[in-house]
Parts: sequence; structure tokens; C-alpha cells
Amino acid sequence: MSDLFQHVRSSQGIEEYQLKSNDLKVLMLQNSSSPVATFMVTYHVGSRNEAIGYTGSTHLLEHLMFKGSRNYNKEKGTAIWDELQSIGAQINATTWNDRTNYFEVVPKEHLEKAISIEADRMRFSFIKDEDRQPEMTVVRNEYERGENSPFDVLDKNVWATAYQAHPYHHSTIGWRSDIENVSTERLKEFYDVYYWPNNATATVIGDFDKDETLALIAKHFGVHKRSEHTIPKVYTEEPIQEGPRRVVVRRSGQTGIVAVAHKTPEGLNSDTHALHILGRILCDGKSSRLHRKIVDQGLASSLFMYDFPFKDNGLFITYAFLTPNTDHQKVEDIILNEYTSIKTEGVEQKELDRAIAQTKATVAFSRDGSYAVASALNEAIAIGDWQFYTTYLDKIKSVTVKDIKKVAKKYLHDDASTTGWFVPKQ
Amino acid sequence: MSFSEKVLVFENLDGLSTYIAPTQVDGVVTLSGSLKGGEFHAKKSNSKIASLSGSMLDKGTVKKSKHDISEALDSIGADINFIVSNHHINFTAHCLSNDLEKVILLLSEMLQEPRYDSDELTILKKRIIANLERSKEDTRKQANINFVSQLYPIAHPNARYNIDDTISMVDNISVEQLKDYHQKAYGLGTINIAAVGDVDPDSLNQLIINGFSPMAKQSISNEYNFPAPNKRVHKFIECIIKDKTSCDLFVGQSIDINDNHKDYHSLMMGIYILGGNFSARLMQTVRDEQGLTYGIGSGMAGCSYGISGHWYTWGTFSPDILDKGCDATVEQINSWFETGITEEELQAKKTTFKGAFQVSLDTTSGFVDKILTNAEKGRSIEYLDKYNERIDALDKQSINKAIHQYIDPKSLTTSVAGSLK
Repeated sequence: MSDLFQHVRSSQGIEEYQLKSNDLKVLMLQNSSSPVATFMVTYHVGSRNEAIGYTGSTHLLEHLMFKGSRNYNKEKGTAIWDELQSIGAQINATTWNDRTNYFEVVPKEHLEKAISIEADRMRFSFIKDEDRQPEMTVVRNEYERGENSPFDVLDKNVWATAYQAHPYHHSTIGWRSDIENVSTERLKEFYDVYYWPNNATATVIGDFDKDETLALIAKHFGVHKRSEHTIPKVYTEEPIQEGPRRVVVRRSGQTGIVAVAHKTPEGLNSDTHALHILGRILCDGKSSRLHRKIVDQGLASSLFMYDFPFKDNGLFITYAFLTPNTDHQKVEDIILNEYTSIKTEGVEQKELDRAIAQTKATVAFSRDGSYAVASALNEAIAIGDWQFYTTYLDKIKSVTVKDIKKVAKKYLHDDASTTGWFVPKQ
Repeated sequence: MSFSEKVLVFENLDGLSTYIAPTQVDGVVTLSGSLKGGEFHAKKSNSKIASLSGSMLDKGTVKKSKHDISEALDSIGADINFIVSNHHINFTAHCLSNDLEKVILLLSEMLQEPRYDSDELTILKKRIIANLERSKEDTRKQANINFVSQLYPIAHPNARYNIDDTISMVDNISVEQLKDYHQKAYGLGTINIAAVGDVDPDSLNQLIINGFSPMAKQSISNEYNFPAPNKRVHKFIECIIKDKTSCDLFVGQSIDINDNHKDYHSLMMGIYILGGNFSARLMQTVRDEQGLTYGIGSGMAGCSYGISGHWYTWGTFSPDILDKGCDATVEQINSWFETGITEEELQAKKTTFKGAFQVSLDTTSGFVDKILTNAEKGRSIEYLDKYNERIDALDKQSINKAIHQYIDPKSLTTSVAGSLK
């Protein structure tokens, strides 16, 4: 191994290194099942780092990061999309609450190109006003497409109602007027605050030579210094919720939606795994409790729940997509009654066993392909510890029926709830 | 190692071919299969019979209730899904390698001995109709249905029914019709099964033989008798949907070519250069330079199994700039038609295709899709070995000739849906 790197730790075959010159973290997992490698850079900046007036900036900046950098730009005939798509790479970037990630899935012989491009745009992106103008309308159309969906609109409203002070109040795409009016200077400032090697993790998964790849990372990312400033921390905390909240969205549409949400702790909290199992028992698979009581009865065409672990608090949300003429209140009551039942009577061991088996299979499939591994690691990096991914299954296996009853009582209480209805207007 | 060297092919049952590719992925298997018997095969009476015959397979077998089935799968974290497409009844399964035997046995039972319970059919219809009602507010679906409806008469395999007609078709289906269709369609004859992952090929092949050998032969007709597409005409169709902030646009026309034709790959590459990925012309101009859309692209559809299909361009625009977006799109189509593709574009896209093929094999599902799609078209596994050769053989002159032969910008059908101004 190159002496330019310090080996930090290993877990389940994944090794963490740090580039000594600038503190860039590097995660590596070799797998030569196919001649492909995924390279991903995760920055610790997301919509959580925004405030009123520049919501959506992290995402808009992510778009501008494809517009050109010192060595990869249209003028030189080396535009990022052209360079990567011409070799058949899968390429994209995504922004979410706690992170922004850029990735390339490439035939293994092209790994250096991906590393070189990501290193170049880490500090040498142009971020020009002449690029922001047309890209703003692109992003606005992305926002408009989301607004077409009753589910997306309801989901935004539920979060905005549940979170009042914390920036999880607004969605990653931001508010329309902020998308339209944020200045290029503000975006550039955002870039200069957060896009540094010491605020990023590079992940390499797949078929590659470890020493050669570390050398390539040092060659391309080693040109950057660590930031001279401390990366700012988000200090806003959501005040304790002291009563149930409701939100209703009325809009032209055909069928209703019910959402029942409750606040959850930060992703690295020890209760997270029991909450995940609780979610599976309620909604995952056709044998889950709410599927049998709602979908099997023809009250909803489908339902699902999510409780993504975030860096700060989250939401445990169940969504039901109603069949025509089904009463919203009826479905809401069924969901809440099931929560009450678990809080008072708990769950059966066989339900827990089934949920653990489902998780075991999900985790196994999360290692199917280099991108799947990088993507799962990316979310763990975002909440503050990549080993959340490697230790996840062991922690899930240690959850007991007692834990599930405990977290249900602790988090699924009325005063921490936000209920949302989408009511179609004919 | 060539593609075909990675895949073992078994033909142990008459009318069932099995393709198995062991890979280094740890502990998981993806299996996908199909047999002829999709919606087009039921079209003479009601194409949704085929669709519901598949959707009802997880609602119970003669021996097991739907809850027995879901318990059996959920308890091992596996899934089995059925989707009926235009031409095929498709099934997929994902499971841990150790659970493969249980999953194959259950899959074969679900395919061969469905319960087709009338109460379950009533509930399923209600759920399907809810989804169909919801799709009335989906700008993309509405624009596409209206677009395709202009291209084909309703008896054509690529035709689409409007939502109200589809709801009526679903509503009228009986258990007896499902049982009758099942008896004819669900049998040996055209079954292909592909499995990729952490698997022992001989053991899996034996499991498939054991599970599927009781099947009788299917008796649906493989004859395709249908009318020609509608005459191409220049037409603009609007569909107003209230409270939508983005409109969907489809523009294109029917093309007299299928994927067995010698010109197919030339035309496919030409259309890809127009709008196949982000660095293609439409995204580079209408999105990247002009900022008019989040997404726009171009492709071909309905060109398999000896049937001629259509080409289309799809994009989304704010209602305020829809006219501008349509004009910019058509301008690019006209420019592409008039000036043709360049040698530089062709060389870039050739490496795109070859690299993307390699990358697509990085997951078990990507690998399985390649095998099954190839098998469904009646091609040997060796056909995939020559993928790069077929791409390398394409030349600029043939592509530009194909564009001029099959595309006519003067008779484009345009369909838009949304809160039009």
C-alpha cells in the first residue's frame, strides 16, 4: 500500500483509508465477479445544510457540477457526459437530506477516467452564471414533474408539517421561488464551503487492483489541499412536538392517499434497527399486518412504509393508496389500531423471525453488483458511519420482540404524529 | 470468456429451455422466465384475461391459500412475481441460494395449479381499477396512450386501449374465463427460464425438471393475424388534465421494420444518436443548451416478434413553454433527418453500446435480462457473443439511409397531456 495513505479500519471486506495530504476518506471493496467497477464520491452536504432563500441549492449545484471543470468541459471537447457515456458508463449524481453523491459504473479499464473527472470537479468546477440560467429551468421542470404526483405533494406536506425548525422541513428539490431566484454567487459560496476532500468519501467497489487504484486516487485527488476553514455544522434542533398534526391536500385527482407519520430518532440511534423490523412487520410483504388488513380487503390498491435513517431525526411513515370510494378515516383508523395493538400486545416471535429473514435476503441482494454496494455505503456514510452498512444485519438479528414493543410505545405516540390526506377534487 | 461460455443451456423438457450462469455473487440467485401467452394472445375475447390470469397466480393454489404462499415467501425473504406483457407471461424470483428448492417448487405450483377464487378476483379487480383510475391523472400515460392509439388500429398487437375501455374489460372478466385461458396457455412449449448467481447449474436444472415436467403442452396459437398500422398522418392530439405543473409530449410515427430486419440496427443507432442518452442530440440541445426540459429522449418500441413498431420522442415541459418545447424538439428531429448523423457521433455511440453491454452484466438481474430477452426472440445464446461485432459493423451511410427510408418528419403524430394553456 502506498505510504500516501493511512489504513483506518476494515469491516466485512471493506477497507477504509485516508489520504494523508488532505484527509480524503477512501472505502474499497474488491469483487471480480464481472469486469466492472463503481467509483462514487459522497460529500457531506445536502438539503439539511440549506435555509430559507436557498432551499434546493445543493441540488441545483449538483446539476451545475456537470457543466464543466478545468479539464473536463465542452470547450476542450471533454464534456463530462460525453467522456463517460462514450465508454458505456452508468453515470449520475443524486442529492438528498444529508449528502450529495456523484458516481460512475465503468468497464474496469476506464476507472482512471472516473477518478480523474471526480477529482477535477471537486475543486475546479466552473459554476458559471451563464450555465445556471438554462439549468435553473431544467431543475424547475424536475420540480414541476414532482408536483404532478399526488404522492410527492403529500409527502412534502407531511415533512413540512412534522418539521418546523429543522431543515428537513423542506424537500431536497427546494421551494419553487428559491430554485428560480438563488444567485450563482450563493451556489459558488456553497461549493467553496462544502466541496473539499476533507468533507468527502471516495468509494471504489468491483474489479480493480487496490494498490494501482490508491495510486490513481492519490495522483488525481492529491492535488487538492484540505479546506482552510472548518466545515460548518448544522446546529438547529427540532423542538419537541406537543400534539398531533394534520395536513390535507385537495387537488384534482382520482383516488385518495392516507399518510400516517411519527417522528423517529437520528439514524445512528440504537432504536433504529428495532424500528426497521417494526416497519417490516407492519408493511413489508403480502403477509404483513397492514397488507392483510387493508390491501387484502380491497381498501387500498397498495401500501408501503418508509423510515429512512438520516443524520438527524426522521419519520416512520405508512402510506396507503385508496381504492375508489374508500373512506380516508377508515384506513387511518386501521393503521392506528394496528400501532396500538403492537404497543399493548407486542408482536409474535414468528413475525420477528420473518422480518429478520426478509432483511437477511435484502442485505444479500444489496451486494449484487458494484453499484448496489456503493449506493448502500453512500447512505451509511451520509448518516455518519459507513459501518452502519456492515453491522446492519448483526444488529437486526439481535432485535427482540420486547425491543419492538418498546420502540412502538416510545415513538408511535399521538403527540409525535403527523397525519396527511390527499383528497381528490373532481 | 465469451458470453455463451458463461451460460449453460439445458433442453431436458420438450418446450422448456433453461439457461444458467453461475457467478461470483455471494449467496443470491435471480431467476426470470416466460412463456408465450401475453395480452395479444387473448385479444380476440378480452386481452385483460391474460393479464389477470397472471395477477391471480399469487392469490392461492389448489393446495395453498394466498396467505400460505405469502408466508412461505416472506419467511425466507424471497419473492415471486408475475407480469403479463403484450406477448409473454413473465415470472421472476429472487431468493437466497439455499432457498432455491423451496422457491422453484412454489413457483411451479403457482404456475400449474392456481386456485382462481372468485372472491379474490373481486378484490383484485377493485385494486386494478383503482390503479387505472389513478392513471387518468398521469400525464405521461395519457399522452402515450393517445399517441399509440393514433398509430395502430385496436386489433394491432401494439395498440393501447383507453382507460375507460380497459376498466370495462377488467370488470367483465370471470373466473371461468381465467381457468379456460390458463388451461390453454400455461403449458410447455415456449418456456424459457434464465437463472444467474450463486448456483449449482446441475442441481437447479434438476429442480426445474422436477417442478415443470408435470405440465401439459400449451395450446395457444402462435399465428399472428392482425391489421397493418394506421396510415401515417400529421396530427396533433391534446389531453387536458387539471392541476398539473408539467406536460408530457410524445411525437413520432409507425415504422415498417422489426428487429429481424437487416436495417434494424442501423435505424436503432440513428435514433439513439438523436435521443438515446444524455450526450445524444435532444438532451444536449433542448435540455442542456436551451433549458426547456428536465428530460427528453428518443427510442423504438413494439418492433419484436416479427411485428413492425414505432419510433417516438418523449419529453416534459412546463405548460408555459410547451409550444416552445414542441418546436425545439421538432427542429432537432428535422435537423437530424436532413443532415444525418456524423462519423464522430457514430464512433462515440459504438463505444457507448459496447461498454454499456459490459456494465449491464454487473448484476444478476442485468445478466438474466440479457439471456431471457435473447431467448424469447428465438435466438441462440451465441447470438450474444457477436454483440460487439454487430455494433462495429454499423456505418454512417447505412444509418443515414435507414433514417431516410423509415422516418418521415412530414407525417409526425404529436400527443400532449397536462394542464395545457
